[in-house]
Amino acid sequence: MTENPQAPNSGPDPAANEASGTGGERVIGTPTGGTAGPTGMTADAPQESTPSSAHEGPYPPEETHLRTEEEQRRGERIAALWFVIAFLAGVGFIVSYFLFPPGPDGPAVGDPSTGQIANIAMGGTLTVALFAIGAGMTVWVRRVIPHYEVASPYDELPSDEQEKSSFGEFFMRGANESGFTRRPLMRRTLFAAMLPLGVAPIVLLRDTGPLPGDILKQTMWEDGMHMVVEGTSRRIRAEDLATPGGMITALPENPEDPEHPVSLNDQSKTVIILIKMRPDDFDSEMTEEQLGWTHNGIIAYSKICTHVGCPAALYEPTTHRILCPCHQSTFDAANAAKVVFGPAHRPLPILPIRVDDEGYLVAAGDFSSPVGPTFWDAERDNYLAERED
Amino acid sequence: MSTQPPKALASAGNYLDDRFHLAKTGEKNLRKVFPNHWSFMLGEIALYSFIILIITGVFLSIWFKPSMQEVIYDGAYTRLQGVEMSEAYASTLYIMFEVRGGNLIRQIHHWAALIFVGALVAHMLRVFFTGSFRKPRELNWLIGVLIFIVAILEGLFGYSLPDDMPSGMGVRILQGVLLSLPVIGPHLSFFLFGGEFPGEDIISRLYLLHILVLPGILLALITAHIFILWHQKHTQYPGPRRTEKQVVGSPMYPAFAVKGGAFFFFTFAVIAGMSAIIQVNPIHLFGPFTPTSITSGLQPDWYMGFMEGSLRIFPDWFDFQVAGYAIPTGVLIPALVIPGILFTGLAVWPFLEQWITGDKRHHNVADRPRNAPVRTGLGVAGIVFYGVLWAAGANDVIAETFSISLYHTTYFFRVTLILGPILGFIITKRICLGLQRRDRETLEHGYESGVIQQLPGGRFIEVHQPSSAETVDTLRAKDEPVPAPDDTTDDQGIPNPKRSGLRGRLWLALNHWYTKDNVPVSHVEPGAHHHADHGAAGTNSGREGPRHR
Amino acid sequence: MTRNGETVKWINARRRHPLAGYAVVVLALALLGGVYSVVAPDNADRAQAQAQSADADIYEDVDISNGKQIFTQSCASCHGMGGEGTENGPSLVGVGAASVDFQVSTGRMPSMDPDVQMPRKEPVYDREETADLAAYISEEFGGGPAIPLDAPGSEPERAEFEDGAAGDEAYEEALETYEAEYEAYVSGGDIDAGQTLYLTNCAQCHSWSGTGGALTDGHYAPPIGEATPRQLYEAMLTGPGAMPVFDETTVTPEEKQDIITHVEELQMEADAGGIFNLNRIGQAAEGFIAWTIGIGLIIAAAVWITAKQRAHD
Repeated sequence: MTENPQAPNSGPDPAANEASGTGGERVIGTPTGGTAGPTGMTADAPQESTPSSAHEGPYPPEETHLRTEEEQRRGERIAALWFVIAFLAGVGFIVSYFLFPPGPDGPAVGDPSTGQIANIAMGGTLTVALFAIGAGMTVWVRRVIPHYEVASPYDELPSDEQEKSSFGEFFMRGANESGFTRRPLMRRTLFAAMLPLGVAPIVLLRDTGPLPGDILKQTMWEDGMHMVVEGTSRRIRAEDLATPGGMITALPENPEDPEHPVSLNDQSKTVIILIKMRPDDFDSEMTEEQLGWTHNGIIAYSKICTHVGCPAALYEPTTHRILCPCHQSTFDAANAAKVVFGPAHRPLPILPIRVDDEGYLVAAGDFSSPVGPTFWDAERDNYLAERED
Repeated sequence: MSTQPPKALASAGNYLDDRFHLAKTGEKNLRKVFPNHWSFMLGEIALYSFIILIITGVFLSIWFKPSMQEVIYDGAYTRLQGVEMSEAYASTLYIMFEVRGGNLIRQIHHWAALIFVGALVAHMLRVFFTGSFRKPRELNWLIGVLIFIVAILEGLFGYSLPDDMPSGMGVRILQGVLLSLPVIGPHLSFFLFGGEFPGEDIISRLYLLHILVLPGILLALITAHIFILWHQKHTQYPGPRRTEKQVVGSPMYPAFAVKGGAFFFFTFAVIAGMSAIIQVNPIHLFGPFTPTSITSGLQPDWYMGFMEGSLRIFPDWFDFQVAGYAIPTGVLIPALVIPGILFTGLAVWPFLEQWITGDKRHHNVADRPRNAPVRTGLGVAGIVFYGVLWAAGANDVIAETFSISLYHTTYFFRVTLILGPILGFIITKRICLGLQRRDRETLEHGYESGVIQQLPGGRFIEVHQPSSAETVDTLRAKDEPVPAPDDTTDDQGIPNPKRSGLRGRLWLALNHWYTKDNVPVSHVEPGAHHHADHGAAGTNSGREGPRHR
Repeated sequence: MTRNGETVKWINARRRHPLAGYAVVVLALALLGGVYSVVAPDNADRAQAQAQSADADIYEDVDISNGKQIFTQSCASCHGMGGEGTENGPSLVGVGAASVDFQVSTGRMPSMDPDVQMPRKEPVYDREETADLAAYISEEFGGGPAIPLDAPGSEPERAEFEDGAAGDEAYEEALETYEAEYEAYVSGGDIDAGQTLYLTNCAQCHSWSGTGGALTDGHYAPPIGEATPRQLYEAMLTGPGAMPVFDETTVTPEEKQDIITHVEELQMEADAGGIFNLNRIGQAAEGFIAWTIGIGLIIAAAVWITAKQRAHD
């Protein structure tokens, strides 16, 4: 296409190339248009076919740095090469989609190693196709399209005083004539009428969920309820936790279906870690009541951190620390889970435990305090109880 | 050669023009000029990744099922067959292992999200440090801040949808933060989750927000942002012909349209390339969410990292109770107050700066960061503050990698969070003023040519060449700060009511702080000292000889 | 100054070269490779880690006197001649053979520096010597769990066999037996149960992918990718360092096998999302890559598109 130096390269951008020899990019001949602006020069403005030395581009010649014909020709070839690559890669993308058909055992990409190859094949061809289009367009703009340094005026943003006052006057005349300013009864009742409707969408949100009530303060744990290892739903005996330093995550046994775990809602409140310590490891600060909640060196803490609710499960037997891996609240397992570091404020609730007649570990009641992140009235009952004492 | 459009094109154009009167506006808009500098394309990265997000998001939503119904997985991914999981997680596995190219689309979506928010930050920093938010562009800056906030929420909710283990923990933390709100916390949590955590509603509700409400808001905000930009035109860096009155660059048609198109393809290519070879968010390896399990090294996506860090390093020392009702400041301050300060600070800065400087002029030529040392210093302080919080969000990874005590990293970040920004401010401001001094020298003397000359007296000098016109233009374009007029009292010694009182005195102090350090160049004649310097050899004004001449 | 000036000039001159844009992209790709080589896992290491051996006769036929000699040479200085422990090392009374086997076969003991947590390294003693030592300590100081011989331990090494063709053959045979045993063991567990148990009891320290994690006081939960099934088993059984104990009664041998199956299967699984798995660290690494590689490369493209051109400065 560019064999003919006068052929248009793109749209209405016919370059007068003879004049742009080795060094002289700026084409002289066309009248200076000054700064380019919306001058109303539409596509049919330069009517007559000008001589080849004349500038026919859309912008004034001094703002248009044309490429030499040689450079344009090279650019065209490189860009075309990129576009051919893109075409081939695009075809490759579609081909690689069909390269991984489902087999008798299901989809080929169901196997992670095949999936990896499919992902690389499809993603790789897509990448090459996209990159090549971008590269081709960049070559087009840098080698074929002239380099423009077009100036364009910023609009004067504030309107002039006359326009402003005219508008203000017009607006107020309208407001007055409409009665909006002069008839307050109508105006005010209209606002009043809008008000309930504005609140209505918020009222409609009321049924998005129940009221919390006291639900957050209670769990399904109750006296005599068996505890089972999470993941196997097997009941735990006290002597199963034989070695000091032992630990296991446990849930209540599902009363309806002992084979399956309780619901996720219940799991998120009832989950505990059972920790086995030497009975003399317990800190002397622990109260009689708290020690009474343990059984033979086994203590059950809620696994849900009192900061924002991550499972705080990182137990170090050497230091008796329980660390929450999310925000590093640290609790002292040997001292009723008192907070020793980090952002949590309340100790982890303790689940009182005992053994039943068959030697299985069971709960001896609900947690010592509300489980999970501290909420508004989490400690209120405790506070009232203390005030009564 | 004909400049008449081909017949088909002309008749199509006429058809549209008959109905919309487009010729004049059309031409004006096609002539819109874009400054030619890479840093003006950062916002475009965000725009293009947003487009990629919408395209890939549509594909993902074809197969994704936003349901928390528990199912037993029996899909193609053998390792998890028989595992109980939510339908949301199972359908994500379906996309990954049963839809050809599904995993690629999912990974493109995820990488594009990470890059989208990253590009927003990069773009915002460019606009901040160059003062491009100044009048008349304050409102567009505000829209930008809103886009940033909505984008973060959009990302957080999207991250939560697959219902894998870390994403569920993200939701858990969100719920913990909601619960901590005084009085209304438990209610809000119950309303959002349809009851207790995790309930059965949260995924479908987050899905609604993620694919309809927030993208809709984003789309509206981005459209407004671009329309305002289009109307007000770009700012530009100082240089020849580039003035407050006119902008110089590539016109939309025919040049910039091609550049922008190329850039879209490059952005898409990089994201697709990463998705082809770098595994991102491998939810199939994490396993389904249960409220009882957790992993060490749990991290949110990077844009939530600062909040994670803030939650990690803020202590519980200020928690208190009012009549037994808990005010858990250990959650409220890091999760709500600190991000609140950050975003509010971003939002009000243009108005605050305008109040401090009293500068009500229109600005189209961008500041060079060094020429606004206080703003640049504050920006760096902000980056340090954000960066420390962000790093603190990975303190366990840092502690493990370098075998440092975990608690010591926390103490370190607590101290750095306060000292770092102060140091950052001071150092940056000093560097800015140093650069200003060098600019003035360059303006006075030209640049060091690297040519050493021996004078007849035997002394060596380095020859200075006059700076190019472009350099001079750039340096002369400095927008000098105007200190407050000395008008605390009038001629008769009567105190000026505007300069007394708390507000007046605060204004004076801030204005002084903002404008006092400046290396003025307005009086400097470019190259004025050029000859004098080289004629009058000697230890002129006590500067070190060899370095300067 | 002059030299620098010249370098800058050299770069400036070429920055405007038509190929400069490509060069920037190539450089950025090279950066990608460089960053990757730093953060990438060593796949070869991981593959090799899976191969180890369970060989019961080593443990049937132990040489206690050799164990005693090793103990006196390498252990007694810190743990005391009577195994009662000193300020440099804990008591070995009642620790048992599994604990010794874990510490010695993972190379953690003998330790050169008792004050820091020992990382996993090449073991000092071979399988027979370790067995002798374990037998001596368990016999002399009593108690503790025995070595779980069902779980495959370390792979046989060529050095343990005679030189020459006969030795080669014996080695090949032992290796084959070992590999069969290993296959049988790590495919024998129930992955579902293993995954649940792992995620509720192990992942909080060792992370979902087994890369480990930080503990308090500068300690850490080590990565478990290189551990043999036997070492994993022994760790659960004895709770080395700051790790809790998982008794045979709370997590039964079958359940331990489930957990080991899950760990090994996860380690072996190819990364469906691409060849670079960012060490399976997760979001922190992803954010880093998004900023450096992602935004870095895109900006490189922007620089190419908008770069000034030679003829038009």
